Amino acid sequence: MTDWTEKYRPTTLSAVRGNDKARDAFEKWARTWDEHREAVILHGSPGVGKTSAAHALANDMGWGVMELNASDSRTADVVEKVAGEAAKSGTLTEGGAGRRLVVLDEADNFHGNADYGGSREVTRVVKDANQPIVLIANEFYDMSNGLRNACQDVEFRDVSKRSIVPVLRDICRQEGIEYEDAALDAIAEETSGDLRSAVNDLQALAEQTAVLTAEDVVTSERDRTEGIFDFLDDVIKHADAETALKQSYDVDETPDELLNWVEDNVPKDYYGDELADAYEFLSNADRWLGRVRATQNYSYWRYAGDNVAAGIPAARQHDHGGWTRYGPPSYWSKLGRTKGKRKQRDAIARKIAERSGTSIGTARRRILPYLSTMIHHCKPRELTLAIAATYEFDASDLAYVTGSGESTNKVQSIVEDAEERREQAAVEHSGGAFAGGRASDSDADEPDGSEGSDGDGGGDGQATLGAVASEEAAGEESMGEEADATAADDADGDDAEGETQDVDDRAADAEEDDGQSGLADFL
Amino acid sequence: MFKAIVSADTLKTTLDSVSVLVDECKIHLEEDGLEIRAVDPANVGMVDLSLSADAFESYEADGGLIGVNLSRLEDIAGMADAGQLVSLELDEETRKLHIQIDGLEYTLTLIDPDSIRQEPDIPDLDLAAEVVVEGKDINRAVKAADMVSDHIALGVDGSNETFYIDAEGDADDVHLELDRDDLIDLSAADAHSLFSLDYLKDMDKAIPKDAEVTMELGEEFPVKMHFDIAEGMGHVTFMLAPRIQSN
Repeated sequence: MTDWTEKYRPTTLSAVRGNDKARDAFEKWARTWDEHREAVILHGSPGVGKTSAAHALANDMGWGVMELNASDSRTADVVEKVAGEAAKSGTLTEGGAGRRLVVLDEADNFHGNADYGGSREVTRVVKDANQPIVLIANEFYDMSNGLRNACQDVEFRDVSKRSIVPVLRDICRQEGIEYEDAALDAIAEETSGDLRSAVNDLQALAEQTAVLTAEDVVTSERDRTEGIFDFLDDVIKHADAETALKQSYDVDETPDELLNWVEDNVPKDYYGDELADAYEFLSNADRWLGRVRATQNYSYWRYAGDNVAAGIPAARQHDHGGWTRYGPPSYWSKLGRTKGKRKQRDAIARKIAERSGTSIGTARRRILPYLSTMIHHCKPRELTLAIAATYEFDASDLAYVTGSGESTNKVQSIVEDAEERREQAAVEHSGGAFAGGRASDSDADEPDGSEGSDGDGGGDGQATLGAVASEEAAGEESMGEEADATAADDADGDDAEGETQDVDDRAADAEEDDGQSGLADFL
Repeated sequence: MFKAIVSADTLKTTLDSVSVLVDECKIHLEEDGLEIRAVDPANVGMVDLSLSADAFESYEADGGLIGVNLSRLEDIAGMADAGQLVSLELDEETRKLHIQIDGLEYTLTLIDPDSIRQEPDIPDLDLAAEVVVEGKDINRAVKAADMVSDHIALGVDGSNETFYIDAEGDADDVHLELDRDDLIDLSAADAHSLFSLDYLKDMDKAIPKDAEVTMELGEEFPVKMHFDIAEGMGHVTFMLAPRIQSN
């Protein structure tokens, strides 16, 4: 059996019922399209005839139709390729002068990966279009500002019971169904403005009984979703705990989302103790959500929901009236805004964790805050320097930890000093392996030393060591040569470090470089 | 019933010329050959293809219609080497298409033809200018134009008797002009239309380089491109709606 909503879909705009004003506005948009060349947004509840109107209009105008709806994948690519091309091209039959109505159904519902980037692309398509475009949406304000501003808009209101009944009666006559007026009234009443549902209900009933009576119309109410703003208003201001809880079941949001909504909006009305109580409940809810995440046991959701929906009315102590401007949760936008900062914080925590042997989480919660307090604004400098050197902070890390500006002199100088200190430490702990690099300059100055080294099978490292040693040892060249020899002997041994330590302890008063002084002392 | 054996090359060429526009299509299994007509989702490009029974090694059909997923079918055809034969047989009971390539058996699930976009009516257009060019000239023009722009103008200068191709980019331009000597044939009349390069590129992929392509052009009108496949035993017509020239 064919679907009556399809079978009786209006083929001409004048047959679209119940929204005369919107219909006329829509038609006017089409007739004047050549002058304004703007797209139009048809918005309104489901089942009031928006899509039907678009198709009927195309039929009236003799325009072809290209429709893209939610059953198609609508990634940016697809929108650009299909809708974009359809909106820029003429038709196959009439070329450049031919008109095609591009219908983007459910333009407020671009979802997830299947539609990645689609909504942004729609705005582009609309702006570059050379053909009339109709965007169809349930929620006008779910579409981006840019898109709304680029289009005209026509609102389709819920179809009144008065308009629904004649439609049902018409269908009954054409289908040869006997009916009681009261039955049609009841159907129209129940579907509250949704003409499509009314027709569907009628068809479902007609398939069961020969004669439609009011009793056949089962009073099963269609599930309706409670608007989030209405819910907020009730839960915060009027409803008792039980009512609010029951109402929350009809709200089309998950407990996490619900929590975010309530959390952001409850301080707009509550104050003092009741606000504290309210947050107590919200924090309980959040802990339950944490348990859901940790255990993946979604039956805990109900406790989160209980705390949000029933907790808030339970915390209420004062009368709250009037109208409050509730807003959407700032949670996601905050996450988006602070993304860079959080990334930096985690990078710092990682550095700390590596150094301290803790988890990143511990580093972030148990160490980082203390560090921040200890070296706030880089004071004391010595401590800051030590910390920066230990954890290998760069300028931006240090700026984050201390709260000082990244480009300030003190941060820059600490980072430089820390760098130097680390290099120094690296040299200190490397058993003289780096000494060659530093001393290579002095090769030229010490022809003897370098010669000695060249001749030596041991290689450059030793030669330069000798060179440096001789340089530092107040110009005793012979010493340099001897140093070569000894260094060559010990070069591989681990005790090299021990030697340098010895040096440190025993001698080398004025000498700055430990590695070299150690060698001199050894000699 | 439908039972046919066809060379892999012919099958691939046939599928390619349709798959550049659509993912799924209806194939008419007529007594004297296959017919496919399809229009792309944006209603901008159209293909009309016929492959005569003579193009097959053997062919038996008595009417009917199947819906196929083209990329799937192309993948299977891709399993065959050039010159190999592909045997196709419709199993009426399971409503599946059995494909055999040298011992390899593949059973392709068909798609309900009703769920595939309706086949277009072939518009009856009066296009004044007609040029016959080699496939490789189209390929050259499209390739060059693609470097600078996303659209391309095809036109015929009636008084100079030349066929020209223009692409204007933000910075660079491409212009190609072919006169009577460069073309296989020309019936000159003024014509000029802008087209989406994306589509032309796709269509170009399906045009054999050595094919003689007949192009019909008008003023801000769709272009029609005809050419033969399968050694003249198949025929393809592409149609492409023009871009609207915004001022």
